[in-house]
Amino acid sequence: MAQGLGTPRGEFIASVRRRLGRRAGAPDSPYPALGEELASLEERGRQAMRRLQEGRGALMARMAATAELRGWRVCRAANSEEALDYLRETIQGLSARLAVRSHEEVFRETPVDDLLAGMGVRVQVMARGDDREGGFDPASADVGITGADYAIAETGTVVLVPRRGVSRLVSLLPPVHVALVRGPEVVEGLDDLYLFRRLEYHRRGGDMGSYMNFVTGPSRTADIEQTLVIGAHGPRETHMIILEG
Amino acid sequence: MAGVKMREFRRASARALADDKLQSFLGRSMGTFDGAREEAIEELSRQRWDELRERGRAIKRHTLDNLDYYLDMLCDRVSQNGGHTHFAKDSDEARRIVGEIARARGAKLAIKSKSMVSEEMELNPFLESMGVEPVETDLGEYIIQLAGEAPFHIIAPAMHKSKEDVGELFEKKGIGLPNLKEIEAMADAARVALRGKLIAADMGITGANFMVAETGTVALVTNEGNGRFCTSVPRTLVSIAGMEKIVPCLEDLAVFMRLLPRAATGQRISSYVTHVSGPRRPGDEDGPEEFHLVIVDNGRSNLLEDPDLREALYCIRCGACLNACPVYRKVGGHAYGWVYPGPIGAVVSPALAGLDKGKELPYASSLCGACKDVCPIKINIPHMLLKLRSSVAEGAERGGTKASLGERLAVKGYGWLMSRPRALSMARRLGRWMQWPVARRGLIRRAPVPPFSRWTRSRDLPALAPRPFRDLWRRELAEEE
Amino acid sequence: MVGKARIRASLFVTCLVDQLFPRVGVGVVRALRSQGVSVDFPPDQTCCGQPLFNSGFRKEAAALARRTLKSFAHSDRVVVPSGSCASMMKVFYPDLFRDDPEWGPLARDLSGRVHEFSQFMVNVLGVTDVGAAYEGRVAYHPSCHLLRELGAVDEPVSLLNGVKGLERVELPEAGVCCGFGGGFSVKHAGISEAMLKDKVDNVVGTGARAVASCDAGCLMQIGGGLSRRGADVRAVHLAEILGGVA
Ligand code: SF4
Repeated sequence: MAQGLGTPRGEFIASVRRRLGRRAGAPDSPYPALGEELASLEERGRQAMRRLQEGRGALMARMAATAELRGWRVCRAANSEEALDYLRETIQGLSARLAVRSHEEVFRETPVDDLLAGMGVRVQVMARGDDREGGFDPASADVGITGADYAIAETGTVVLVPRRGVSRLVSLLPPVHVALVRGPEVVEGLDDLYLFRRLEYHRRGGDMGSYMNFVTGPSRTADIEQTLVIGAHGPRETHMIILEG
Repeated sequence: MAGVKMREFRRASARALADDKLQSFLGRSMGTFDGAREEAIEELSRQRWDELRERGRAIKRHTLDNLDYYLDMLCDRVSQNGGHTHFAKDSDEARRIVGEIARARGAKLAIKSKSMVSEEMELNPFLESMGVEPVETDLGEYIIQLAGEAPFHIIAPAMHKSKEDVGELFEKKGIGLPNLKEIEAMADAARVALRGKLIAADMGITGANFMVAETGTVALVTNEGNGRFCTSVPRTLVSIAGMEKIVPCLEDLAVFMRLLPRAATGQRISSYVTHVSGPRRPGDEDGPEEFHLVIVDNGRSNLLEDPDLREALYCIRCGACLNACPVYRKVGGHAYGWVYPGPIGAVVSPALAGLDKGKELPYASSLCGACKDVCPIKINIPHMLLKLRSSVAEGAERGGTKASLGERLAVKGYGWLMSRPRALSMARRLGRWMQWPVARRGLIRRAPVPPFSRWTRSRDLPALAPRPFRDLWRRELAEEE
Repeated sequence: MVGKARIRASLFVTCLVDQLFPRVGVGVVRALRSQGVSVDFPPDQTCCGQPLFNSGFRKEAAALARRTLKSFAHSDRVVVPSGSCASMMKVFYPDLFRDDPEWGPLARDLSGRVHEFSQFMVNVLGVTDVGAAYEGRVAYHPSCHLLRELGAVDEPVSLLNGVKGLERVELPEAGVCCGFGGGFSVKHAGISEAMLKDKVDNVVGTGARAVASCDAGCLMQIGGGLSRRGADVRAVHLAEILGGVA
């Protein structure tokens, strides 16, 4: 199916051009953003980084505040002990039996497996590649635990992109999602996020991975009588642990 | 297009006005979105909101003015991501493309997240006819799929259904336990009923809120999480998009992700935004093995071609203009007779389904302009309605449809009279004489002839004044100077 | 006014006012003259063409527009007591003749000289208190075209606020259309009536003795609805109040 089905591409585009009354080629008035050199993108990226670093403290506070407004339960943890304490309390309240988590850096600093095992919760880890001993069944799990690639303070959003050991389903199938966000992953706004992702796209020669998911609080619907119901197809309960240390 | 019923706007709107249940629903509910939107805008600040609107509009204008160029770029970048792009000039072709993909992959169960284009092309019956089960997974879409109805509203397709309606419907269809009373229980029943399908589906079908030309990305905005299922679980993913949904650069999304949720539901952001850039890559743990993007024209060229109508394609389908429209608020979404209701529907539907079928809709407006005021892209809907009315009138001039004969005569007569002040004053005298039996103290309570009789059904009509202003001027006012 | 050149203005009275509400025209003239404006009335004026334009009959509308352009070719300024007719002349004439080498320039030129009545008072003359008096509570209904094509939010309100004895009351959902819409009012009479019902409910609810507006179309609609309901509220044009003829 490499060949498009339907109207051939050239024909379709030529027809659009004809209807527009336009000549072939680039727009008469160029779109500045698209003409931008990688060097300039890099420079903007550096500036944004600097700005974010300078405003760290306020940024963390804003992250926590907006996340809470968007329906996350938020824990600001000074270190991994505090993070684990919060996790313990959360899991206790859930009477969970099975947890799934992705395989990520953050769990090396904040080892959740022992804690959960100690509480009698079985933990399945999204193993790398095909090495899936112990099974991996997010559909049956009571809680899914992930890290974050970015978090956006403006919107209270956790951003997830594909990597080895990361499943799209851990943050989607279980009724409870816990996201561990590390300080440096927090960006201020949507502009920063899209800038950084765009930079990655171009750095990697035109690829930014197959997907990027923004997760902002629990899943919800208001499709019956405009009445808000928390917990539609995705998790009904979401926790954000911000590791500020 | 079997489902096109735009011609019946007048009858359908009369039915809607006579439907007490619908009227009480509309009276209660239509303000809800408005309040939430205003609050979200205030929080951001009016000024910032207006800057964003201008920015969004400028991006859309540039993209649509150069659409061929960006389609080309998008197609390249989708291939670069390992996806496939298909172009459909009309619904028929779009259906065949999706059907062909389903057939080639042996798909049996297709989960869909909300897509207006798929409504437009009546994809579901087509898939059924070829043995593929299409399942709408957005709760609102699911409800109207079960009910066999058209969407009532762009972003809240089943908003006209009360919880009692939904409870009955679910009971009839065996969704959840019988006799559900609470909304939460119904949402839960739907979730449980759909979960199995979401996990077992072999094909995912989505719409697209935005397509990024630069990176070949499709962006989906959802709240329930169904969009994430559709893009994560099935082996084959098909996104269907109207060709106008492009933005040039990834960073442009920062503008639209602020505009869309606020304008639509007053949310600062929706629960999920899913960006799909092709199929899973080697090394990804999950995700679709194949990604297909179907780009649909289906009459959009008619809007593109006309510089006066092109901005209809800037629409991001937020539904704000529906909520603000006093006509929509009285007649609801079904009266418009097709997929796209309300003010923007009155522009888009005739262009997509044919002006001949949709010629009633441009007149389904008092031209008050409330739609333009709330539109996050500042789309000038009233001006486009005027333009379409002129196309309808000119069409009538050329082809001569019978229905407008009376109107044409009235127009000619009025134009003639207003160009001849003497004839006008004679007509006036005649009018004074004719109104004498029905006018009392300057008011006519019951006019015997149309169109005046239609006016006086519920309103008094002012009678022609004893003297027109021009006489008063000549006799008294001119001299006061 | 001593030492200042007198401002001159031509009145375009509009067909509705001419035929149905002549008192509105009298009010405009009195209000303008109270501010020392010299008013004239080009006698061959009729209709701006808006009803035809709004129904889609652009050719026929253009004929009336050309007539109007001629009538006011030599006026310094044109004052129009109607938001919708003023919009027609300011916004839609240039559009109607945009590709016309002969009439296009005239239309663009007129556009700059046309002023809706309340905007003329406040923005050109710079007055909000014309010295008028009117006893009682008055609600203001902003006409759609005045509000959204011409952007007049504050002008009519500040003029009402300047009237002695007048107590202005807020009209709930003021900015929602009254349902007139020209031909819409009879073409879709049922919808128009339903919209009007809300407006009349809101007006009556304020307890005002009058509802003021700046467009004869709305006055015809709202006034017709009020009198049919037997409500003791009048629909008046702002100019009637300012000109002391309400
Ligand atoms: S026309 Fe504007 S307000 Fe209406 S749906 Fe489209 S973007 Fe939203």
